[in-house]
Amino acid sequence: MVDFLHFLLTVLIISSIGAALAMVLVLCEKYIVNYGPCKVTINKDKVLDIQGGSPLLTVLRDEKIFIPSACGGRGTCGVCKCTVKTGGGPVLPTETPFLTKEEQAADVRLSCQVKVRNDIDIEIPEELFNIREYVSTCIEIEELTYDMRRFRFELQDPPTINFTAGQFVQLLCPRYKGSSEEVYRAYSIASDPTQTHLIDLIIRLVPNGICTTWCFEYLKEGDSVKLNGPYGDFRLSETEAPMVFVAGGSGMAPFASILSQMRNIDSKRQVKYFFGGNTTKDLCMAEEMKAFANALEGFEFIPVVANPEEGSGWTGEIGLVTEAVQRMYPDLSKHEGYLCGSPDMIDAAIKVFTDLGMPEENVYYDKFA
Amino acid sequence: MKQSPRDKKLEEVLRSTKLVAGGFMGNDSRHPIEIIEQDIVAMEELGVTAMQVADRMADLTELAKPRLGNWIDYAYGKLRVKSEDYKGRLVCPWPHPGLFDKRITTVEHLETGKQISWTDLNIHMIAEHGFFEGKGAYFRIEPAEIISILFEDKP
Repeated sequence: MVDFLHFLLTVLIISSIGAALAMVLVLCEKYIVNYGPCKVTINKDKVLDIQGGSPLLTVLRDEKIFIPSACGGRGTCGVCKCTVKTGGGPVLPTETPFLTKEEQAADVRLSCQVKVRNDIDIEIPEELFNIREYVSTCIEIEELTYDMRRFRFELQDPPTINFTAGQFVQLLCPRYKGSSEEVYRAYSIASDPTQTHLIDLIIRLVPNGICTTWCFEYLKEGDSVKLNGPYGDFRLSETEAPMVFVAGGSGMAPFASILSQMRNIDSKRQVKYFFGGNTTKDLCMAEEMKAFANALEGFEFIPVVANPEEGSGWTGEIGLVTEAVQRMYPDLSKHEGYLCGSPDMIDAAIKVFTDLGMPEENVYYDKFA
Repeated sequence: MKQSPRDKKLEEVLRSTKLVAGGFMGNDSRHPIEIIEQDIVAMEELGVTAMQVADRMADLTELAKPRLGNWIDYAYGKLRVKSEDYKGRLVCPWPHPGLFDKRITTVEHLETGKQISWTDLNIHMIAEHGFFEGKGAYFRIEPAEIISILFEDKP
């Protein structure tokens, strides 16, 4: 018994010393360590003189160079990749789930996880220099469903944006009662790309989500909001292949923009757009879809309801949105698929597409995971 | 209650609003360790372990996932369950790598109308850390409540 107590005491003492040392390190890092001035060299060309100690993503953002990130730097999306040639230190365990072996061998890192502690050489795509921060005013908030709203932002500074239909922006959610930090979240642009002074975002309320809670409970018409972008490669291909769009919820957003673009160029491409909801209350923008159908001769909108309410008079497609696609097509080998919605829906739709013969490289989506 | 530096740091993270809106502690003034211990006692009295609760929650989430947010009946029509996922991931507040899909599973007891919801992160925190969140937190799960719904055969 005495031996056991002695052992326990020893373990406790060693653990306490370890914990105390870890605490000292954390405190030193926070209050004492000064990394001093550091140089960030970008693409062997542009040199930034900055104060060390912050994550690379933040350092670049402060210099108005915006690396796409869907989680705002929490290390949860794996989107903010860039190449760190020297000075980035070892790859962290928080990065490895997002990096393939090939990427690690090619010095690809998550910029939110790389802390700038010394001079550092990085490479980023040149097009990122075109991404800007926009100060805007929220001029309209429209209820689309019980949990989805369309927010319209009028750009103030700079007053216009050029984007391709299908791209997304990051919205800055300021500090508020539910969040002690500013965070960025990615949302697809829903507006017509020719309306360069406007950005529409369709946002679905995520229960207890930091940014969507702010959008739904705090953001009001007339408020100033910061956005940056545009980002992303999700866009119409330049082929004439017939297309299948599948979306649910706020996945409506990029398709609203893409359909506007198709209308602007009088596109004749064949497209069937399957939009899924659990009940008829999840459907939205029916009139706008009808207007697109009138304007685009190759376009058909197919709303699908999994569980139509009794008495709703629903006469359209019933079941999961993926089941409706299966019913409609025996073969998709010549089609292209475009997806936006929840990650589970995207996974299910990819499986349906490929089972029906669609080559995987013809499936386009932004999962924002 | 005396806390180690590591426990203090954990409490700070759990009370902060960095990871989820409003944090994980709600308006609960107890230390996280106390919350965990008291919830364990509550479960012991009901004859169920945290791991059993987490396993049942995980089974129901897996059952509902293929229905893409639609209800599916369970337990011979006594319960129904749905699972909705959103873009993004949640981070475990404990100091280890842990990312979880932003998925919310809801179970409804069809006779009583009682509903209970959890995230994939809740399942992990209950299984690995015995943590049901503090009272007043958005996804606080009362052990007695979830046991009464998911373990009907238990008292």
